[in-house]
Amino acid sequence: MTTTESDREGQLAAAGLDGQNRTALGRLLNTGSIGHAEEDADGTMRATIRIPEDELRYDPSILILPHGGDLVLTLINDDKNTHCAVLPCNGDPKFIWLVNHAKGTASINLDGPGTYYYSSTSGNDEGRGLVGAIVITGEVPDHAKLDRPPQPRP
Amino acid sequence: MTDYVDAGEAISFAQLSNVKGSAPATSAVDYERIRAAASEPENWLTYYGTYDGQRCSRLDQINKENVKRLVPAWVFQAGATGMQSGASTYSFEASPIVVDGIMYVSGPDGKAWAIDATTGEELWRYKHASPYDVSLCCGNVNRGLAVGHGKVYMYTLNAHLIALDATTGEKVWDTVNGDVRAGESGTVAPLLVKDMVICGSSGGEFGSRGHLDAFDAQTGERRWRRYMVPKPGEPGSETWPDDGEAWQRGGANCWVTPTYDPELELLYQGTGNPAPDFDGGVRPGDNLYTDSTVAVDVNTGEIRWHYQFTPHDLWDYDSTMENVLFDAPDGRKLLGHADKNGYFFVLDRTNGDLVRVFPFVDRITWGEIAPDGTVTPKVYPDEEGVPVHFWPGPAGGKEWTHMAFNPQTGLMYVPVQEVGATATRRRREFKESIPYWGAGVAVDIEDFYGFVAAIDPLTGEEKWRWRNEYPMCASTLTTAGGLVFQGTPTGEFVALDADTGEKLWSFQCGSGHHSSPSTFSVDGRQYVVVPTGWGGWIEGFLPGLLGAAAGDALFCFALPES
Ligand SMILES: [Cu+2]
Repeated sequence: MTTTESDREGQLAAAGLDGQNRTALGRLLNTGSIGHAEEDADGTMRATIRIPEDELRYDPSILILPHGGDLVLTLINDDKNTHCAVLPCNGDPKFIWLVNHAKGTASINLDGPGTYYYSSTSGNDEGRGLVGAIVITGEVPDHAKLDRPPQPRP
Repeated sequence: MTDYVDAGEAISFAQLSNVKGSAPATSAVDYERIRAAASEPENWLTYYGTYDGQRCSRLDQINKENVKRLVPAWVFQAGATGMQSGASTYSFEASPIVVDGIMYVSGPDGKAWAIDATTGEELWRYKHASPYDVSLCCGNVNRGLAVGHGKVYMYTLNAHLIALDATTGEKVWDTVNGDVRAGESGTVAPLLVKDMVICGSSGGEFGSRGHLDAFDAQTGERRWRRYMVPKPGEPGSETWPDDGEAWQRGGANCWVTPTYDPELELLYQGTGNPAPDFDGGVRPGDNLYTDSTVAVDVNTGEIRWHYQFTPHDLWDYDSTMENVLFDAPDGRKLLGHADKNGYFFVLDRTNGDLVRVFPFVDRITWGEIAPDGTVTPKVYPDEEGVPVHFWPGPAGGKEWTHMAFNPQTGLMYVPVQEVGATATRRRREFKESIPYWGAGVAVDIEDFYGFVAAIDPLTGEEKWRWRNEYPMCASTLTTAGGLVFQGTPTGEFVALDADTGEKLWSFQCGSGHHSSPSTFSVDGRQYVVVPTGWGGWIEGFLPGLLGAAAGDALFCFALPES
């Protein structure tokens, strides 16, 4: 059987790396799905993130934002165990408890291109796989760029 | 199916702590007060203590006789929350600022605090969310804050200059000033001058075009930007290939805070190495204004003069290190600079004339600098794939951490690193955000040592040295109590006799020193505070201690009250 990189989900499943206590004890970090935030007319971004039962992952586990700014997350714990989230946010990280079958919200502000991770700091949730990523796309404003012609990128 | 339990709205992490959330309003700090900072030694108002960079305090309660009784007054543990940007290179590198009993200090990963300077109690905190994947050539670090106009200024890892309210830590303004996709980042402690905040770029190893910028302290609007690599046609551009792209990626970053002469209205900015490091073949010429001290008019950003220490650098000898301002007995206005290349330079700070140059380290093999300043390179990596060993290594005879000057003794106290390296040239293509290095470099992990050198800058004479098994990688502090404080990479914080170099006291902080201590007093009691935490880009300056105990705490010392 040959696989390509685009079959990554399938490969992880076949290898028993997509869930808990199969090949590994927990699951690899960030092996879940990819989602995109929606943007309101005022630029505020919104997304819903769930913790499915017995999977120890945030779903989507990678959330892509079109730009930096304010993000309102709805967080739902469909698992039958208690978790939490420590979310990156300018000023101070935001914290939310997510007991079994709970739903809450988080308003966070992030400001620029790059990858921001968050996790559940309860028990060893991070080690078992409960780590999510928020990826901000786009560029910095023109005034913050270097005065030089465009340069090659990798 | 039952409804979900309402988990409510996520709260700030600090709400789950004993942090107060506000600091008492301190009396107004403005330009005139910082200019006269030496006259209020109870405070440490600006990065180096004073604009001249002397890192010398007039406090003398702690002195040669009683320093052996120094004990910790408190310890502040910074700690970590969640996943950290550049966790492998996490380190405290700040210089704490103190105003009327309140300490303002920054740590790794975008953190800043206001702390009660007498008890260590956390008054407020600010955490800038930094991308985990931001390019950080030299560690997840921040060298400190500027305080004034009721605000606290910080330059963040993702190159935002931000202003916080000094009493609450709330963000007042935020100016994006660098391109993270181009490998730019922010690590420098900003400098408040007049109604402006001055701040330089980091990211030299990523082939950026280094710059120094000035911002309106109230609004964050940029007043001027001075690139340290000239465009074709600008003064200095003749020192770069005229048909190439080298200037666009030339380096010369300004990642250490400048010193400032208020009478001449000049900022003295040290600049980083040319990019790519080690491979000079793609950038023939002297490569101005890399590896230089550049005197910049604070009002306009114009370059008034420059002095280049290592023309056409092939050894990664950044000259970002501080330029200490002092006056000769005859009144001549001078500037002292201990360069990575192992030579100590004394310049006339009004015009950049060379007054004196002499070696301050034991082993220099890369080349030679004659008393008239003529530079003769000897050993450098110029053949692809051929290893070349030289002293000092790329970390330099002295790294970015600062020396101190005590006018009472007339001596500069220089933290010295004796460590070499082997560089093997490996040419590579430039790509934005990928390290732009022209060599593989291995810094020696055996055969090194260090010392604090007490040097008379007027004669070049070394009056004494305090030798240590390991190189010195932290700033010195000197006081009117006749003392020199220095942290070692193995965790000892030591007090030396400023006249003789005799060790009078030491305390093991549990983790190495790579930052800048300061001193202050509150209600008549003098304190010495030092950020600890071994980390940063250790493989570049002392890989022989890469496995040493890490940490990130502030230790504050004082004499017992009774
Ligand atoms: Cu360098």
